[in-house]
Amino acid sequence: MASLFKDLAKISAYRDRRFSGTQEEFEDALLKSTTVYVGNMSFYTTEEQVYELFSHAGEIKKIVMGLDKNSKTPCGFCFVIFYSRDDTEDSVKYISGTILDDRPIRVDFDWGFQEGRQWGRGRSGGQVRGEYRTDYDPDILLLGGYGKLVQKELEAQRQLVDYGTGSLGAYPPVMPPPPCKRGGNHGHGGSYRQGRDYHRKRHREDDHHRSDYPKRSYDRESRRISNHESRPEKNPRFRESGDSDEEEDDDRKRRT
Amino acid sequence: MSSWKSLLLRLGEKCPEYAGNADFKDQIEACYSAVRRELEHSGDDIFPFLLQCAEQLPHKIPLYGTLVGLLNLENEEFVAKLVENAQINLQDALETGKCNKIRILMRFLTVLMCSKVIQPSALVVIFECLLSSSATTVDEEKGIPSWQARADFYITCILSCLPWGGAELVEQVPEEIERVMVGVEAYLSIRKRVSDAGFSVFEDIEETNNAVNEKDFLEDLWSRVQDLSSREWKLDSVPRPHLSFEAQLVAGKSHDLAPVSCPEQPGPSGVLSGIAFGRQKHEAELKYPQRIRRLNIFPSNKTEDIQPIDRFVVEEYLLDVLLFLNGCRKECTSYMVGLPVPFRYEYLMAETIFSQLLLLPQPPFKPTYYTLVIIDLCKALPGAFPAVVAGAVRALFDKIADLDMECRTRLILWFSHHLSNFQFIWPWEEWAHVLDLPKWAPQRVFVQEVLEREVRLSYWDKIKQSIENTPALEELLPPRGGPQFKYSEEDGTDPTERALSVELKDMVKGRKSAREMISWVEENVFPAHGFDITLRVVVQTLLDIGSKSFTHLITVLERYGQVIAKICTDDDQQVKLISEVSSYWQNSAQMTAISIDRMMSYRLISNLAIVRWVFSSSNLDRFHVSDSPWEILRNAVSKTYNRISDLRKEISSLERSVVLAEEAASRARDQLDSAESKLSIMDGEPVLGENPVRIKRLKSYAEKAKEEEVSVRESLEAKEALLARAVDEIKVLILSLYKGFLTALAEPLNDAFRDGTLRPSGQADEMNIDLEDSSVMDLDKDDGGRPKKSYSHPNGSREINGYNLDGKQQWCLSTLGYLKAFTRQYASEIWQNIEKLDAEVLTEDAHPLFRKAIYCGLRRPLDE
Repeated sequence: MASLFKDLAKISAYRDRRFSGTQEEFEDALLKSTTVYVGNMSFYTTEEQVYELFSHAGEIKKIVMGLDKNSKTPCGFCFVIFYSRDDTEDSVKYISGTILDDRPIRVDFDWGFQEGRQWGRGRSGGQVRGEYRTDYDPDILLLGGYGKLVQKELEAQRQLVDYGTGSLGAYPPVMPPPPCKRGGNHGHGGSYRQGRDYHRKRHREDDHHRSDYPKRSYDRESRRISNHESRPEKNPRFRESGDSDEEEDDDRKRRT
Repeated sequence: MSSWKSLLLRLGEKCPEYAGNADFKDQIEACYSAVRRELEHSGDDIFPFLLQCAEQLPHKIPLYGTLVGLLNLENEEFVAKLVENAQINLQDALETGKCNKIRILMRFLTVLMCSKVIQPSALVVIFECLLSSSATTVDEEKGIPSWQARADFYITCILSCLPWGGAELVEQVPEEIERVMVGVEAYLSIRKRVSDAGFSVFEDIEETNNAVNEKDFLEDLWSRVQDLSSREWKLDSVPRPHLSFEAQLVAGKSHDLAPVSCPEQPGPSGVLSGIAFGRQKHEAELKYPQRIRRLNIFPSNKTEDIQPIDRFVVEEYLLDVLLFLNGCRKECTSYMVGLPVPFRYEYLMAETIFSQLLLLPQPPFKPTYYTLVIIDLCKALPGAFPAVVAGAVRALFDKIADLDMECRTRLILWFSHHLSNFQFIWPWEEWAHVLDLPKWAPQRVFVQEVLEREVRLSYWDKIKQSIENTPALEELLPPRGGPQFKYSEEDGTDPTERALSVELKDMVKGRKSAREMISWVEENVFPAHGFDITLRVVVQTLLDIGSKSFTHLITVLERYGQVIAKICTDDDQQVKLISEVSSYWQNSAQMTAISIDRMMSYRLISNLAIVRWVFSSSNLDRFHVSDSPWEILRNAVSKTYNRISDLRKEISSLERSVVLAEEAASRARDQLDSAESKLSIMDGEPVLGENPVRIKRLKSYAEKAKEEEVSVRESLEAKEALLARAVDEIKVLILSLYKGFLTALAEPLNDAFRDGTLRPSGQADEMNIDLEDSSVMDLDKDDGGRPKKSYSHPNGSREINGYNLDGKQQWCLSTLGYLKAFTRQYASEIWQNIEKLDAEVLTEDAHPLFRKAIYCGLRRPLDE
């Protein structure tokens, strides 16, 4: 509506270096995408909190938590994938800059993936047994390159040091999330958050009666169940490298 | 942005563009001289931008109007073009029914009239055109009265112009404007008063028929305008910068305005009966909705002392800023707080925003937009606004029992989200008294649901901490989360089942395929243990594996959902499946809702099974004490509806693509044909057809275009088939939903409200009801003098609006409230299927209150 103040160039304030197309294609992808990047989150924010908040914008299809490469723990960002573009836009307009878990989060369009392009679907788009809201077969989500794509995306995001503050400019400076690349080296986040989050973490563990949530088990469990039967080589989310504990241990040994 | 642009954009603001000078006269002069210089070489850029500013920042229209008046002295041709464009835009907006554009362009033309840019009589011609169209519409013989919403809207537009130009019109064309006023009055006398029934935020629970005596929106505006007229058209809220330039402006040449025409009537004239009338009226009200329904929640000694018309104008300003600056946080906030009026308006602003948040059937934007606006205003006006917001919350809380059910839900979502942005700080001790109320008391349920939503946005311990100074409220916190896995403990569970569960978990760990798991179930579990145990083991175990997060859940469902699908093939079995899910997640309303929602996504559960489960006996008891079953029901219906609306959108976009593809194909064909029919000379001989290389190329273009056309058509057909199925599906869903309500309500309604009105039947002690708390009858005493609207009954012994309703009565009211909310939200789909509903649900013996809830939601007159 308010075209007077909408700076159209803003949509592409950052350029994802992993995006292979031209700038125009990139902007086009942003304009059509139903994926948003959510940044500056607390490391302890759960998917369910994200779900609750983003449901205010619309029906959510998926949430992909950004995990630290080494520790495999959430590291302050995630992707939320909606069903509809309108809802996606609303989440950027209305949720960016608001507080989730005591932190002002930022929400940006993400180029995500283009529906249909990777999946080579038939043109009719009418699978009989499909997911309810869309006509895609859920298995296709699992089989297709989506997981890989997200993985690449996560890798790329980690390298984007400067995500800018954008719409948050009017608010007190936001503490940038600690760089994830080094997340494994100093435990959970930086020392500045240790005090506040320490108790909280313990409480949450108590809640779940689980000894090391959200540390390693988070990753291991979901990995176990997420390998699709008919496509055994790769797991759909997060874990392209270091696909098993053994590999990872080996990796660590080699480095030390 | 070039400097003339930013001067235009920022006109009227205290900003660096004008070196901080906020004087309107100085600003207009500065802007005028900058724009005048540019007229020569960028005139064609200026007028669209100027129009855009006026259309999107309508609170500044008088400034833009004066500016145009000054430009008119300099360059008549430029202004003539601008006026022509404004007229074309208005005509277009009338034809396409763009309400906001019509309203604002008319205001702009009014202001241009004040600056001598257009003839006052030309404006009157537009008014008369709208007036006559409106009068025709509501005429019972020649018109189409079901479209009164449009007629009312046109009259609203005329009246809305008067604060901006009433004084000038009366001065310059007194007779004409008098004629218009008489016309409006005549219109008001022939139209029907619009009832708020179904759309009012506060339920007129006593049926005192106040509504009949109350003015509707248009009558209210009319009285405000009359008041304005009695004050010689003087008001505080509209700046009149043209007066500072009057001496110059009179020299300007007033342009004439081409007349506009209102669109034809949307159907054959005459009075329709019953259903057809209702459908058309519904359609008209969707297209021409009422912008605001005033809440009047603040006591009059608190709100600003503002003239009636100023209140209307400020509301217009605020609604327009909310509309046009949606998505521009900074600008939206600064325009909201910086309106060009000489009085304070925080209360009015809060009330206007809350009226939008709670607007029925739908606010113009998602409720979460208003959450953001309120947050930003609290930050922008930290000394004033938070207290006003808190006042609004208290006022709404006091009247919560009267609040429409849908509004209660919106209020809960807003309030919890709002608090989550302000460290969850709230003086909870004020509300500690709800603990003395029975568990179904609306205030108590409200507090409990706010805490539930807070926990979802944060975490249990944090919220517990936030109510530290009222520890008693802990009782209302949801359980501390965590799944209830049947097989986690050695004792108490059946060892056989536990062994099966362990075996199943091992299969998952061993990455067995769904197919392998299905054969295991079919060979080893089902034959030996039967359906119930098989279901319990499989569902509990798989949910437990997927219990860690939303992603874990969808991963396990994507991988092993087929195992569940194989076990639960019909609705009966799926109802049991849902029960198992809700038992596993009994401590987490959120996870219960998410799990059921996801299972519906993967078609493991049908929407019909969800309806049946929600209306099953285990849930009925919760209807008035928890939002949880309703949340699940809302999700199921909205998912079904979203699918239809997605498909409709896709189809309309595909239809456009088909047209484009057809054009492209026929163009390519034409090119090929013309190339083939051309004679060319080859080897001295005349041959039919052009150069073969080109022919070949054109042929392939034509083929490709044709293929494309066929393919788009196929997609369209496929989508249309899907839509037809989805439409059938929602028809069945609606019917089953209403039958669910009917069955659930029939007996309790007859017990609690025997005479068919909201007067409870008999004395509570005579009734066979389960009084959870025997102190309920004594509540009158410990109300602590809280402000409370109470209605006493002839027998003097009961109140409907207090908390001495018994459980069954409150149960009925809550359930009826949800029934009305569903009906209103899906009214369009329901109108499509109304005959079926009339035949199968709204039968003779349906309880009057049940009928009333549905009729209200549809805004269908009860006496039809």
